Amino acid sequence: MLLSIENLCVKYGNIQPLHGITFHVNEGEIVTLIGANGAGKTTILYSIARLPPPEAPRVISGDIVFQGQSILQTTPSDVVKNLHLALSPEGRRIFGNLTVWENLKLATYARAKEADLGKEYDYVFTLFPRLKERRNQRSESLSGGEQQMLAVGRALMTGCKTLLLDEPSMGLAPVLKYELFRKLKQLNEEGMTILLVEQNANLALHLAHRGYVLDTGTIVAAGTSAELLGNPEVKKAYLGG
Amino acid sequence: MLRRYSVHLSLATVGGLIVYLAHQEYISLYIMSVLMFMGVNIIMSTSLNLVNGYMGEFSCGHGGFMCVGAYVSSLLGVWLFAGDKVFGAPLLNPKYTLYAFPLLILVGGIAAALAGLLVAIPSYKTRGDYLAIITLASNYIIISVIENIGAIGGSRGFMGMKQLINAMGKSVDLPWMPIWVFLFTVFCIWLMRRYISSTFGKGVIAICQDEVAAEIMSVNTNKIKTITFMVSSGMAGIAGGLFAYILGYVNPGSFNILKSTEVLVMVYLGGMGSLSGSVLSAILFTILLELLRPLQIVKWIVIPLLLIILMQFRPEGIMGNRELGDIFPKLKKFYRFK
Repeated sequence: MLLSIENLCVKYGNIQPLHGITFHVNEGEIVTLIGANGAGKTTILYSIARLPPPEAPRVISGDIVFQGQSILQTTPSDVVKNLHLALSPEGRRIFGNLTVWENLKLATYARAKEADLGKEYDYVFTLFPRLKERRNQRSESLSGGEQQMLAVGRALMTGCKTLLLDEPSMGLAPVLKYELFRKLKQLNEEGMTILLVEQNANLALHLAHRGYVLDTGTIVAAGTSAELLGNPEVKKAYLGG
Repeated sequence: MLRRYSVHLSLATVGGLIVYLAHQEYISLYIMSVLMFMGVNIIMSTSLNLVNGYMGEFSCGHGGFMCVGAYVSSLLGVWLFAGDKVFGAPLLNPKYTLYAFPLLILVGGIAAALAGLLVAIPSYKTRGDYLAIITLASNYIIISVIENIGAIGGSRGFMGMKQLINAMGKSVDLPWMPIWVFLFTVFCIWLMRRYISSTFGKGVIAICQDEVAAEIMSVNTNKIKTITFMVSSGMAGIAGGLFAYILGYVNPGSFNILKSTEVLVMVYLGGMGSLSGSVLSAILFTILLELLRPLQIVKWIVIPLLLIILMQFRPEGIMGNRELGDIFPKLKKFYRFK
């Protein structure tokens, strides 16, 4: 088990969005968390990335274990730097007044001393050739799909081995959505572990190996993608009948 | 080849010309002092732009750091190289003043940077309005501390720096103040440019855009804030030291909130996050202040009015967040400035 969330309860002030969540991610897997708005999906990812309040909630009980060790005391920059765990946040949150290239460069902040970064830029640019064309453009001038690719590319440039993706398909045209998901599959085949949070349950379950269904802070269903796709209740609630 | 060194060449020419003209006394002392204040203002506005423009925080007590730099470098200078009724006879032979002078200014800068550290720590938790209040308060604290130390003159001020200037002139007969102001101004602009174009500097801009996203990208935001605050206030300290030696006299009143506001105006006038904008607006603003000098106190009605008009018609400032090279791409052919 690479990452396991054990009975996690968190609070934002007085509001408790998660009521004892338990799930795990194995190395090399794509695991998806699906659920309606407000189910607590983003909260889980923020908790794993160890963002400080007010963005992320306070953990009141339970544990987040990564490679056998609790990461509750780890700082956000150490999560990226030492655990090689990167989050591509919801709504992209790229740095609009930096160029595409500078956005990618910034992601290498913690490992600027490493010599062999050229290869990794090339890797991101072969994965997303559009970014290469636009490398000297301000990233706020990119289209939504390109911005999403930049958000993923930026996460990759941190040198991560585990990728947390929050709603990567949000606001993308169907063609771009499929293209992005193909890239994610390719990444996974090359060894990346992916935890995917997604509104588009159908698409997510077709990509992922396993999935968990969340409802108002608890896990209501779990299983392999095929099982969940066949589950009548999941079908009814999240897959449109 | 020419392109590579064009900036160095033009800087050397301008610097040499100013020194030559000053030495031959072709330009009057008044114009010379305006030029020197221009240099001080350039350092002040570019350094505040680092925090307010690039990092997107709101610091409005820049005058306080300038005050720390001014007092530390003048007290140290007078203590070491000049006779004074407080400190007694000089500790070192005044003929070394020339070599020690840049160090004196730098020590003032370091002291101001340490003062900046005190403001940086609350900035971990607060942003925006709250940080503005903290910096404002620190400005007041610094001023009132100095006003209440009788030994260094209190609110009457402190003098004796002219002796150092004279000592430098005796060692080598050149107009040293314009030279030092010029060199430090160039140094500060160069430092800012390097700082902002480094990966570290991209982190500063990232904090301005989205602090959380920066944190997700492994950027240690607290470290960046601390260092940026220290660099910015340190540069204000350098400006303060130069200011003190240009005048030959400092009093805490010249670093009060009016000074901080003046610097803020320069930053907003030039454009947030534009280095060349800050330089331009510092130059324009210094000239403007001198032109409006006959109006006396009325100029503090005219200048805010100009600011209001500017905000109405060009809220992003003269340059926005662009640099000179972005507006006139052809210029890039002639220089390469790193």
